[in-house]
Amino acid sequence: MTDENIINKIKDTLQSKVIEITNPAPRRIFVKVNRENLLETVKFLKEQFSFTHLSTITGVDKGENFEVLYHFANEFSVVTIRILTPRAEPKIPSICEIIPGAILYERELPDMFGIIVENIPDSRTLLLPDGWPQGAYPLRKDWKYERPPEIIPGEE
Amino acid sequence: MAEFQVPIGPQHPALKEPISLRMTLDGEVIKDADLKLGYNHRGIEKLAEERNYIQNLYLTERICGICSNSHAMCYCQGVEKLMELEPARRGLFIRTLVAELERIHSHLLWLGIAGHEAGFDTFFMYTWRDREVVMDLLEIISGNRVHYSINTFGGARRDIDDLQKQKILDGMEVLRNRTNYYLNIGVTEPTFIARLSGVGKLTKEQAVSLCAVGPTLRASGVPRDVRKDDPYAVYAELPFEVCTADSCDVLGRAVVRIKELIESYKMCEYLVKNLPVGEIKVKAPRRVKENEVISRYEAPRGENMHYIKSNGTDKPERLKVRAPTLANYAATIEMLKHGFVADIPLIFAAIDPCICCAERSVTLIDSKTGEEKRMFFSQLRKWSIEYYTKKPKLTGVTWPF
Amino acid sequence: MVNRILYEKAKINGCNMAVLKTLLYLFVYPGILFLFVYSTFCEWVDRKVYARLQNRYGPLHTGRAGILQPIADFIKLLSKEDIVPEKADKGMFSALPVFGLTIVTLVAMYLPLWHYSVGTVSFNSFPGDLIVVAYLLTLPTLIFFLAGWHSSNLFSTLGGARVLTMLFGYEVPLLLAVLSPAILADSWRLAEIANFYQARPLLLLVNIIGFFVALICLQAKLERVPFDIPHAETEIVGGTFTEYSGKKLAFFRLMADIEMVVGSGLIATVFMAGFPGGLIWGLINFIIKTLIIIFLLSVMRAVTSRIRIDQMVNFSWRWLAPLAVLQLLIVIILKGILK
Repeated sequence: MTDENIINKIKDTLQSKVIEITNPAPRRIFVKVNRENLLETVKFLKEQFSFTHLSTITGVDKGENFEVLYHFANEFSVVTIRILTPRAEPKIPSICEIIPGAILYERELPDMFGIIVENIPDSRTLLLPDGWPQGAYPLRKDWKYERPPEIIPGEE
Repeated sequence: MAEFQVPIGPQHPALKEPISLRMTLDGEVIKDADLKLGYNHRGIEKLAEERNYIQNLYLTERICGICSNSHAMCYCQGVEKLMELEPARRGLFIRTLVAELERIHSHLLWLGIAGHEAGFDTFFMYTWRDREVVMDLLEIISGNRVHYSINTFGGARRDIDDLQKQKILDGMEVLRNRTNYYLNIGVTEPTFIARLSGVGKLTKEQAVSLCAVGPTLRASGVPRDVRKDDPYAVYAELPFEVCTADSCDVLGRAVVRIKELIESYKMCEYLVKNLPVGEIKVKAPRRVKENEVISRYEAPRGENMHYIKSNGTDKPERLKVRAPTLANYAATIEMLKHGFVADIPLIFAAIDPCICCAERSVTLIDSKTGEEKRMFFSQLRKWSIEYYTKKPKLTGVTWPF
Repeated sequence: MVNRILYEKAKINGCNMAVLKTLLYLFVYPGILFLFVYSTFCEWVDRKVYARLQNRYGPLHTGRAGILQPIADFIKLLSKEDIVPEKADKGMFSALPVFGLTIVTLVAMYLPLWHYSVGTVSFNSFPGDLIVVAYLLTLPTLIFFLAGWHSSNLFSTLGGARVLTMLFGYEVPLLLAVLSPAILADSWRLAEIANFYQARPLLLLVNIIGFFVALICLQAKLERVPFDIPHAETEIVGGTFTEYSGKKLAFFRLMADIEMVVGSGLIATVFMAGFPGGLIWGLINFIIKTLIIIFLLSVMRAVTSRIRIDQMVNFSWRWLAPLAVLQLLIVIILKGILK
């Protein structure tokens, strides 16, 4: 299975749902889809090419939009699905039904970017400590670290 | 006995780094397990956006102490691709050599830890003694025992000479003998086998669906190794086999690691004997044009992945680090269920957890508490400035020679 | 008249001598002083052997070759802060270490070292003292369990439950193994058993299976690797001792050391023909024989890994108990033949 095979098959099957497909380096394929078509694409990749291994999910703050990248890998190639979600309404569907191992990566997104993952099986915070202020998402570009007032437990 | 919860961590003798596992127990049997991360966050991903590329190289090295080379090399490869730079061949060989030596040291360390968690301290002492051999070799090559800093954009930072080559070959010979001995112990020591086999079952289907990586995945019979599937550096021309085991338990993970050790000795010898002549590095540019890259690397614990996005300046737009331990957590939870309390440390150790690798995203600063008179750092600073401005300057002071 | 006065004086002197001897027996040898010194020495031997087998040095600095290290550790622990958890049962929590220490020290009184005669019955040697020793050696286990339970800590409770589970595993094989030499010697009195085998040393070989069963059971009783399940540090932190600190922990550690000495003393008595030769030779015999057993225990500790609690119970009932019964059968059949 070569990159060209994969690209052609994705183009043939998904047709207009694929916005952009690039192959910048050997074994690296970037597929851009709408977020409505994410689940379908993931399912297609898993069933057709056995892209069962989700390497990770990356979130990128691009100002107006958040870019979410799903990096899938199998023995031959790495396919990255790229979706955009507007900053005003950052919502993405959960892929845990198809890929159960995605849960920790998906739990990281609400913590770090404030992206709401719909239908996530476990919506608790993963990384941030208890008592972290609402609306502070560390990996957004407009978040700047400010040293919090020092509080010594047990003192007023 | 009714069900009750036992906290393992954030501070626990079985864990060398802080993580919180919450076990729901029914007598000695685990019914459910839950995980809380975030005790060891340092905000490296955020920090990386404010440093330039060469600074980030040393920052990524500090993601982890045990597999320090894996993150640095993964990042370095990615940035080289962004820079469209072809690294020097001799440099690549040296890099790969250090990567394999690091794998040896990490696997030996794991073997010792597994012995310790199983209450077999003699095994722990022996493996860690032999680990000193490879630690010394790494020190000979790089000058450091933990952070080797061998990677730089375009090649390696230090060359190796004939004497070092000979020492590496000698060391590999010693280690190969010792490793065969451990493989033998693994076969003949009944209490050790009894503790490891059948513990932490993870079937092939579960391993695949939960996206496990590294020896955890390979011990479930899935021959997936980034070095083979997606060769980087000089792995395409190296002779080695992907080691797997079908037993799907902790014993299988131990066997996979011991086999990988033997493969690594072979690779190190090949690398030393076929070291090409030439420069060890080429010159790299400071700025990187706008692009994005995915860099994969087979760390001792599994697939390590960096996603780097550049924006045309000398600083990255985004650096995403996915350490292998994070990928294995979901599988660990599954392995822990229906096990015994006695197996918790073994199962958890079997993924070779490197908690500081898995956590890297948020900057946090703890409040400092003074001893007798409590004082905030800010106050203390103010107080010290005031103290010294009021204090008359000392005169006539000489060095006490 | 003078003769009578002299006779009375001599009687009082004799009486005084007996009292003095008993006091010496209780406080010096094999009483508290000797036990303290010798048990710390045994701990040093154990640590040194364990370390050398692991390619380490072990204690080095306190005294010659670190021989005073266990005593230094004991003193250091005594000086540490002693914390009683708020939720713990304070009375029991504080009393248990002292009880434990008393009980194991008491066991040493029944070992036939000196100050007894085979012909007469005395406070430290009487028919049935074997059963008393076996019973008293069960109590430390109970004390560990109670200590775990009364700490009201999750890990301690788990450790306490494990202590009891283990007790069901090793106690019966240990008793069976110790009884078979007694049956061959036709006595329940330790001194007589020892005497019997001193007269017929070859018969000791008959009990070789029982000896190893008893050795393994003793290792389990002492909760050392591979049976350190109740305080497996990587699983349940400190186990029963999680909440203990300072003086109480020091007492518990001393108790474990003394238990090791008296346990190996019991095995030496029934399986290695006791300690003949009165005060001096008896002492030398005691030291040599217990050190052999402690060496074997240390080697066992070094070459094995901790097993799981279910594996431990399985192992005791599948191997140790049948072997002990087999030993019993051998002894009974041999006794029939000898008669």
